[in-house]
Amino acid sequence: MSMKVRALAGVLVLGILTTACATVKPWQRGTLADSCMVFDADSATAYMTHWQEAREGSMGGFGVQGGGCGCK
Amino acid sequence: MATSALLLAAAGYNWAQNQLDVSFHAFQDSRGVTVLSPDANFTKDFTDRTSVKLKFGVDAISAASDSCARCHSDGATNGRFVGSANITRKYGDTKVTGGAEFSRELFYQATTVLASVSRDLHNANTTVAGGFAFSLNQPQLHPGPTVESQQSYDAYASVTQSWTKRTVTQVGYEINQVNGYQTNPFLRTTLNGVMTVGNSPEARTRHALSARLRQALPAETFFEADYRRYHDTWSVDSNAFSLGLSHHFGPRIVGGGSWRHYAQSGAYFYQPEYTGSPTYFTGDFRLFPFDSNSVTGRFEITPKAGLLMMPAGSTLALQYERYRATTGFEAGIFTGGVRIPLK
Repeated sequence: MSMKVRALAGVLVLGILTTACATVKPWQRGTLADSCMVFDADSATAYMTHWQEAREGSMGGFGVQGGGCGCK
Repeated sequence: MATSALLLAAAGYNWAQNQLDVSFHAFQDSRGVTVLSPDANFTKDFTDRTSVKLKFGVDAISAASDSCARCHSDGATNGRFVGSANITRKYGDTKVTGGAEFSRELFYQATTVLASVSRDLHNANTTVAGGFAFSLNQPQLHPGPTVESQQSYDAYASVTQSWTKRTVTQVGYEINQVNGYQTNPFLRTTLNGVMTVGNSPEARTRHALSARLRQALPAETFFEADYRRYHDTWSVDSNAFSLGLSHHFGPRIVGGGSWRHYAQSGAYFYQPEYTGSPTYFTGDFRLFPFDSNSVTGRFEITPKAGLLMMPAGSTLALQYERYRATTGFEAGIFTGGVRIPLK
């Protein structure tokens, strides 16, 4: 098993093991629902990601991808 | 060749609200490329468990870049449209999404199908999500008529965790396998003193690991931090991180700004110029080593009485980004949009 695979597995296992510690109640989630706290990409962020990937050699990490474009 | 558009974040997302989101994007860079891109997103709950999201967008491209100007001294124009449809169904704490996307432009076509699932755990403090997408991409080797084929397989998994009522994080991993023609038919490099279209390997495996934080601070201020580590089998390695702050100026105005730094290594077969008979060679700027920085400012207002003739709850959003790379490339990107709640 390569170092990178072990590191990834470690991150995921650590994340899963520590999740049970959270105790936020449903009625305490007001701040978490604020638009500044969510990870969903709005239109402006999605466009920013799109053109950055047209200029840079790397991509992904935040969701499944479409086929994209032939941007030059 | 394929630069992918984010189609659907597989990470747990809020349940849909009926709304229409119309945006206009304007991009201009130091190579003389201008892109005007209106798009519209429509989201509707058809039942208490079923939601549909439709997207339609257009790119109007006016390109006077080096690669176009070689043959088109007055520049060249291109148009692209993209449409997608996703349907999401809830089963208790589990959401299942299926969808498709199609895009077409001069010399390129992409067809994508996807599926994703997410599940809330621990009273919705934890969301585990995963997704898979397959794309068939078909670049045309302009100026010739030959159409090549490229298959892209993409899988993603994430864990989103609320730690306190003011702190949430997300860790994600994505793997993407691309097979088929991946040479850029427009970008040339110097091979034995002659400008020549490159030749790239026909297989590429890409890995991306991401970590994100959203932290509510005192006085209606919010901190965000994102990091992505990327590696692929062409030896392109990159680190991207961004930091941002947002603030509520009263109940109806939000302002914010962010900074992003990006650094990548070059592909293993990249050289400024080539001699002899190399198997692989490239003039694709995305495979060069470089760093970049960008700053973004954004502003949102939701007038109490509604926006112009739109209903109350409609939001006007404005954003401007300035991007500068060590290659000398610079770009400015403006976005203006409205979100209109629907009944």
